[in-house]
This record gives sequence, C-alpha cells and structure tokens, in this order.
Amino acid sequence: MSKIVVLGAGIAGHVAASHLRRKLSKEHEVMVVSPNGNYQWIPSNIWVGIGRMKPKDILFPLAPLYAKKHIDYKQAKAVSFHPEGDSEENKPYILAEYVTGDEKGNQERVTYDYLINATGPKLNFEATEGLSPGKNKAHSVCTYTHAQEAWIALEGLIKQMKEGKKVKILIGTGHAKSTCQGAAFEYILNIEQELRRHKVRDMAEITWISNEYNLGDFGMDGMLMSYGSNIMKSSEMVEMIFEDRGIKWILEAGVSKVEDGVAHYETLDGAYKKESYDFAMLIPSFSGHGFKAYDKSGEDITDKLFRGFMIVDADYAPKPYEEWSVQDWPETYQNPSYSNIFAPGIAFAPPHSISKPRKSKNGTDITPAPPRTGMPSGITAKLVADNIIEMIKHSNDELHHKGSMGNMGAACIASAGFGMTTGSGVSITTYPIVPDYNKYPDTHGRKLGKTFGTIGLAGHWLKLALHYAFIYKAKMKPFWWLIPE
Amino acid sequence: MTRRISKYKRFMMMNPIIQFFKFIYLSIKVLIVVAGGHGGTRNA
Ligand SMILES: Cc1cc2nc3c(=O)[nH]c(=O)nc-3n(C[C@H](O)[C@H](O)[C@H](O)COP(=O)(O)OP(=O)(O)OC[C@H]3O[C@@H](n4cnc5c(N)ncnc54)[C@H](O)[C@@H]3O)c2cc1C
Repeated sequence: MSKIVVLGAGIAGHVAASHLRRKLSKEHEVMVVSPNGNYQWIPSNIWVGIGRMKPKDILFPLAPLYAKKHIDYKQAKAVSFHPEGDSEENKPYILAEYVTGDEKGNQERVTYDYLINATGPKLNFEATEGLSPGKNKAHSVCTYTHAQEAWIALEGLIKQMKEGKKVKILIGTGHAKSTCQGAAFEYILNIEQELRRHKVRDMAEITWISNEYNLGDFGMDGMLMSYGSNIMKSSEMVEMIFEDRGIKWILEAGVSKVEDGVAHYETLDGAYKKESYDFAMLIPSFSGHGFKAYDKSGEDITDKLFRGFMIVDADYAPKPYEEWSVQDWPETYQNPSYSNIFAPGIAFAPPHSISKPRKSKNGTDITPAPPRTGMPSGITAKLVADNIIEMIKHSNDELHHKGSMGNMGAACIASAGFGMTTGSGVSITTYPIVPDYNKYPDTHGRKLGKTFGTIGLAGHWLKLALHYAFIYKAKMKPFWWLIPE
Repeated sequence: MTRRISKYKRFMMMNPIIQFFKFIYLSIKVLIVVAGGHGGTRNA
C-alpha cells in the first residue's frame, strides 16, 4: 500500500488527487493538504470582479466531496519539507499546520510515499510597495475574495460616474516581473464592456499598464497566429482591440510603488514615471511560498528542493536568450534529488522566462515571468499522477508520461465582455506554449493553424461552457474524467 | 476610440447564428489542440 500526499487543491492539486483516486485501488491512500476549504475555478474570478457572478458560483467546499470520494483531506498548510524523515520519523514527511477549527495552529507530521507539491504561487503583493488588495484604490482579481472586493469598489465608482464624475481606470501588472497578463487583459475588456452597459463609458479613461515589451506578449514572447485567412501578430490583434475599445496603453513598465491613487513605475529607457487612477487592478508578482527543507539530521537542504519554486527536471543552467531551447523545460516535473517528489502546475521552478529578458537602463529587470495557465497545470498534474500510478503498480522508477510546455498546446479563451448576446471572447490557441524556434523558425516558434486567434460572441459562450464543464469535472460528477484537462 | 473593426466584421462577430457555428468550430478546434497530445522534447 502506498500513500500519496498532494499539497494544494487548486487546478493542479485537485486534478492530480482526483485521477489518483479514480485509478488507484482503495488500499492506496490519497491525501490532500490544502489551507483553503473551497475549490475555486479561478478563471471565472474575472466575472466576479465585474459583478456578473457571485463567489458562490465559482466555488464549492472540498471536504464533503473528498469524504464521498475517499480522499483524505486536511485543511492545513505545508510549512516545511523533510524528504528523508528525521531522527524520530523514518518516513519522509511534510510538516503541516492546521488553519481552522480547534486544531488551528497545531502542527503535524504528514508522512508520504509520494509527494505532489501543487501549491501554486504565493501572490507576492509585498514585492511592490503599497500594493495590497483593496488598499490605495488598487485591487486584485486573483482570488474570489479579492475579486468580490474589486467589484464593490468598481460598483461604487460606476455610481459616481452616473452622478457625473470623470474617472481614470488603470489595469495591468503591478510589478516589473509579474505574469498572468491574460487575466488583466480579460478584466480590462470586461470593465470596458460593463461601463458601456451602464452607459458611463464616456466618463472613464481606461489605461493598460504592463511589463510587456509589446502588446499581446502575454509572457509568451508574443505569437504569430492565423487570424481568419490572414497571419497576424498577437501585438497587432491586441492593438486592434484596444484601439477599437478606446483603451490607452503603457508598455515596458515595471510598477514599483503604489500610493493612494498613484502608480509609480520605471520604463526600459530608465525613466521614472507615475500614473494616477481612481480604480486600479494590478496583478502582483508571483513567488514561491518560501518553504524550507531539511534532511534526516536536520540540516537545511532548501537549495536541493527549491529555487523560489520547486526544482524539477528542467535545465537551470544560466544561458543567454539566444541559447534557450524547449529542451530546457521540464518533462516529468520530478525533483532530481528525491524521485518521489513532483511539482506540477505553477509550483515548479521554470528554467527561465519565455519572453525575451530585458533590463532598464537602471538595471531593473522588466520582463514578464512565464505563465503556467490552467490547461498546462491540469495536464502536468495528470501526467504526474499517471507516472506515480505506474511507479506504484509496476514498482518501477521509469517515467513514461511526459509533457513539456515545449511540446504541448494551450487554449486561452479570454473573456472580452459578459452577456449571452452582447458578450465577446478573444479565443487564442497556441502550440507549443514555449516557442520552438528550431522546429518553427519562420513562424516565431509556433505552428500556424494550431496557433490561431479569433474574436466574437462564440468566445464568450465557449468561456461560459468551460466554466460549467470544469466545475462539473472538479465536482467529480459522472464521467467527469472524459472532460480533458 | 478609433474604429478598427469594420461594421461588417462586427456583425459577423456578434451575429448569434454565425457565432453558433463558430462555437462548434471553436470547440472542436480547441479540443484538437488540447487532446492533440503532448510529450517530451529531449528524445524527440
Ligand atoms: C484572475 C485569473 C484568471 C485566470 N484565467 C485563466 C484562464 O482563463 N485560463 C487559464 O488557463 N488559466 C487562467 N488563469 C491561470 C490559472 O488560474 C492558473 O494557471 C492555475 O490556477 C494554476 O493552478 P495551480 O494548481 O498550479 O495553482 P493554484 O490554482 O493557485 O492552486 C494552489 C493551491 O495550493 C494551495 N496552497 C497554497 N499554499 C499552500 C501550502 N502552504 N500548503 C498546501 N497548500 C497550499 C492553495 O490554497 C491552492 O489550493 C487565471 C489566473 C487568474 C489569477
């Protein structure tokens, strides 16, 4: 009998736990350790942030589902990693701290045979002075509570606009190395559409601020894509949308400080500037959780497991952009020092960014961090689960399931406005996620046809269909596994 | 605001009948990209 412990119940952790449970017999134990008692479908936070969905529409409690499906669950957070055990405990374990109920604050050794670290990112608001959800008129949509607070503030602002106040809205990235530009892109378009719905669009100046070098970079070095019968750059597509919607933009901007209604930023040319606003939504930088790791004797071995995020089978040797290749990216998400530890989703340390790294004249890195969106998070979690299942069933350490982001497609259905007849979506698929400039030298590292973009109402329907499909799947309702990651 | 999307294009983008077929096309296309498989890169 084996015990698999999954840290985190986000997209990656929940996908891993549900596949493990479905495919492994009950003699094996599957346990989830996660501090948030709810599963949330994060992509729909955008609609919570414009008041078109309530938090309850995008979440459900995990404990009843896990009890029904025979998945053990501890509402606790991992604190430290002990992959060799210690002087008292022979088995590897993680130290977990309960976050709720009578046991709150109590720590427990949770032993494992296999460990899946799917703890995603820490939302690193502290990296930007003054950036904190709901403070200084700046908001976040990264969690459903943040999104709900953002909507309350936005609703108040819409009221003021109706009373004749002209306002400035600033949406984008809140740090020189933020990622997740796609979420901010969705939010700015949704806000723009909501202002039109409330007939106050002319009262607002809406501005995009981003650490991208070009519009539509999305932390993926931009894309060359099929667009109808044309071939278009993602920068051209986003420029077309922004101009059409009357959205201004500021690029190459590393936001360093936020004061009440003012964002301070540095640009690649070394200038220090500021932008005022009445409402902002700025995505923070993402970081690892700062976990510590210890060997059997209690020596600190954090460097063996983490470089911010968890170390996996990537090539971390520093090299210039021109020498980067898809082979740098991990395939199995296995930690090289401890073969029973894996890190799918956002929890793994990427070898480098995907976008070309750039420094300002003052030496500040202003480069989007690489995004790991929902689809690759789910795919990598499933392949990790499949490898562990094979290791258990065949007592074999060979890993047959592989999935590099350099050999994997992703779909990004970006909401551009909510409404069954008035909504819109920017649907983009990309193959591969990490551009392979050797394989596709003439098409910016991507396969045309599999990399395409389109705009329209169908995109909104698709995004809504995915919302319902993925919540159905996450609830493990009949035949849930037929819905692909 | 600068009009960058023509009236005709906007009609195509927002017409529910045209978009219904687009929805089916898009769903299949997305499925092909996602279910199209994934793998390693090192021994390819
Ligand atoms: C607003 C927004 C919109 C998005 N829209 C899209 C989209 O449209 N399409 C798309 O593909 N992607 C989208 N993404 C990205 C997508 O949400 C992420 O790729 C995905 O959530 C990553 O999954 P994950 O499981 O790695 O991390 P997460 O989903 O962040 O899950 C991490 C889990 O770990 C838990 N955890 C944290 N700390 C600990 C600890 N110490 N111990 C144990 N557990 C811990 C958390 O509670 C959580 O359950 C969006 C992201 C945002 C913020």
